[in-house]
Amino acid sequence: MVNQNLVKGVVSEPYKYGFVTDIETEKISKGLNENTIRLISAKKEEPEFLLNFRLNAFRKWQKMEEPNWADLGYKEIDYQDIIYYSAPKQKEKISSLDEVDPKLLETFDKLGIPLTEQKKLTNVAVDAVFDSVSIATTFRKELAEHGVIFCSISEAVKDYSDLIEKYLGSVVPANDNYFAALNSAVFSDGSFVYIPKGVKCPMDLSSYFRINSGDSGQFERTLIIAEESSSVSYLEGCTAPMFDTNTLHAAVVELIALDDSSIKYSTVQNWYAGNEEGVGGIFNFVTKRGKCLGKRSKISWSQVETGSAITWKYPSCLLLGEESVGEFYSVALTNNLQQADTGTKMIHIGPKTKSTIVSKGISAGNSVNSYRGLVKMGSKASGSRNYSQCDSMLIGDQASANTFPYIQSQQPNSEIEHEASTCRISEDQLFYLQSRGIEFEEAVSMMVSGFCRDVFNQLPMEFAAEADKLLSLKLEGSVG
Amino acid sequence: MHIIEEIKKNELVRNPSEIQKICLDKLKLNPLPNIKSELWRLSNKSKFSSFLDFSNINKESRMSLPYKNISPNIIRLIIGENSSINLEEETYSIRKLKDSEIIKYIKKNISNFDQNDHWSDLLNHCLSSKSNILGLNISGNQVPPIEIFSSSSSECFNAKTLILFCEKNCKVDLLQINIGNKNSSLSQSTYLCLEENTTINHGVVSYGEKKSNLLNSLNVIQKEKSNYSLGSIHFKFNYARFEIRINQLKGAAKTTIKGIQITKKNDQIATYTKIKFNGPNGFVDQINKSLADDKSHAIFEGAIIVPKVAQKTNASQLSRNLLISRHAKIDTKPQLEIIADDVKCKHGATISQLNEEELFYMRSRGLTLAEASKLQLSSYFKEIIECIPISKDRWDLLDVLLQEN
Repeated sequence: MVNQNLVKGVVSEPYKYGFVTDIETEKISKGLNENTIRLISAKKEEPEFLLNFRLNAFRKWQKMEEPNWADLGYKEIDYQDIIYYSAPKQKEKISSLDEVDPKLLETFDKLGIPLTEQKKLTNVAVDAVFDSVSIATTFRKELAEHGVIFCSISEAVKDYSDLIEKYLGSVVPANDNYFAALNSAVFSDGSFVYIPKGVKCPMDLSSYFRINSGDSGQFERTLIIAEESSSVSYLEGCTAPMFDTNTLHAAVVELIALDDSSIKYSTVQNWYAGNEEGVGGIFNFVTKRGKCLGKRSKISWSQVETGSAITWKYPSCLLLGEESVGEFYSVALTNNLQQADTGTKMIHIGPKTKSTIVSKGISAGNSVNSYRGLVKMGSKASGSRNYSQCDSMLIGDQASANTFPYIQSQQPNSEIEHEASTCRISEDQLFYLQSRGIEFEEAVSMMVSGFCRDVFNQLPMEFAAEADKLLSLKLEGSVG
Repeated sequence: MHIIEEIKKNELVRNPSEIQKICLDKLKLNPLPNIKSELWRLSNKSKFSSFLDFSNINKESRMSLPYKNISPNIIRLIIGENSSINLEEETYSIRKLKDSEIIKYIKKNISNFDQNDHWSDLLNHCLSSKSNILGLNISGNQVPPIEIFSSSSSECFNAKTLILFCEKNCKVDLLQINIGNKNSSLSQSTYLCLEENTTINHGVVSYGEKKSNLLNSLNVIQKEKSNYSLGSIHFKFNYARFEIRINQLKGAAKTTIKGIQITKKNDQIATYTKIKFNGPNGFVDQINKSLADDKSHAIFEGAIIVPKVAQKTNASQLSRNLLISRHAKIDTKPQLEIIADDVKCKHGATISQLNEEELFYMRSRGLTLAEASKLQLSSYFKEIIECIPISKDRWDLLDVLLQEN
């Protein structure tokens, strides 16, 4: 019998991003009503169409009910007890990174995201979002030379309002679901990416989301548009400090891919997950959706979900264009009392569309890890194909792993394949590795990363190494 | 929905029996299942209401059986027709359950029933009169094969119930045939209790005529070392639901389920299964097939639930579907809910059409397209039909199906 305690040790590495930055912030008072929305909009000096978009979403949200089909047990969220706008105080509009509050730069340094010049070597442009506001975006000039627009969404609203007006809400409509409606009403900031026709983005783009205050929710919005024959790889990382209250995070991500373009969206989500008794942690309710509008366009989601007390997230692809491709690669790890209900939706509308789903769930402790996914073949999706694979790994006999695939087809000339399996870290394999002189912990982490290999192979280099390390840290001490 | 109105007004049954009273009370406040729940969300609403739209309840008429009983070795029973049976032989016995035993058993069961999950059974008990409940106790290992028929009469709603106890070490082949007559609804609830070391080979063949509806609910309770194998086929219903609930009370039992549903025209046929292991070392192997043609809709939802106590469970579930028309629709949702960590669980699902390469090969060998498709279909059906006991020798189901399709 494998030593229970040893395995527990492997999983329960303390959360190292749990510090709080002591910085003066500007917050509005708690509560949500039309005035709050007008105030947010006024603070951000937004054009009228956006205010109307927000108000429209708010009115719809008021009529909607919080969804409960995911069977996630969490205490009721009091939407009037949340601060909907919080931003670090900055005296004037900044023109260069040197003017950013050094405390903020230090925070991102601590998180391993240096925003200053030295980062240039790594060839990744970063948009850092602190609470509700984008702090800095690096490499903007270099990107501008190629015609790539990469900035915060608030700046985009001012500088490229035509693009925002055209595309905002075109993939995730304001009334799409409860949390998307809430986000549409109060979203504060986020990233905006525009890749012009024929441009292969010269570097990876990345945004880093940091929640700092305990009583404000984070509602960011990301919009990525890839014009004809362009391509981009986008990375997203998230952390938050440890509070014993729950913080709400309701984001919306919209991707639009036109003819022959490709978007690769990778996430490493490591929000604070709460302590061992399940106190605190982020409630992560995210709507991510990509629209393959053009012919032969491609959207690929890859995600490593290790944090959050509650994860409710289904990155989806609407495959409209002929021969468009959707991909979803996911690793979701839950420990202690975490609950994750995640998966994807692949909606095949156009002919000859293809999708691939690879989902790996690892549940340890008393956690609940569910895969919930939809594959739908519309009546015009002739010649389309889908392949899904969902594997779960159970660690300990208290964790649960569920698989809920919804498969619908209205097109005889299409093929859908789905398979799922469940396994655990087998004692025989552990014994074998140990007999070869490999330490127990290393053996466990080898087996876990072997289990996730199909997904890690899809992550950008930097992320893959980080994800592998993250998993072994998270799992420290939990295999038994 | 005439029946629902009557339940609300408390006028459905005159002089209800004790069981009917309890069930009517349970349904009175909330007579319909929650149409937003996973179990009911795909049900076609107008078909469902036509299923309940009958004022004629339990009117009897003689049914025409698909084949004659020429073999004296096979016991044939028809629910609702006064079939009394009490056989005491050296190697086996079949005894009709006393009314008091039946009432006690049903009462015990319905006390745990959830209005939504067991709506089909509750409705059945509301409407099933004493003469439409057949209860049997079987023991011995050389029991002759048993055929049990139930049917609905034309222009009528019929509710029939079957309760079957299998004593220890019992072995039996059981074939249930449900027939829906023209423009009728049949509600069939079946309870099977398998004691230790019993083996049941169970076949369910359900087919209807024009505009017939069926609500077929099957509850199986298995004790240790029991072996339950089910082969089922549902076709030619305007609206049909087959709900299977298997409960391995202490695990360590074996369950094999092979089922097929064939939908044509505007039919909707659905299969829902829920398999729960309440102990270790359980085994289940399930294959569910669908064939959807014309404008029809085939649905499969299967759940396998493995709680913490069910270590070393071995479960596999496969949903294979053929979609052969552009206007037909298939929904499938195999699901796993697992807590125990030392288990082997897997499921798979496919939706496709007839294999073109195979068709091409057969045509290159001189078969016509129609013949080649038939050959492919026959192999698709055969895997299931072979698991249906008794019928094999007496009734060529495969021929019937191939003629139909």
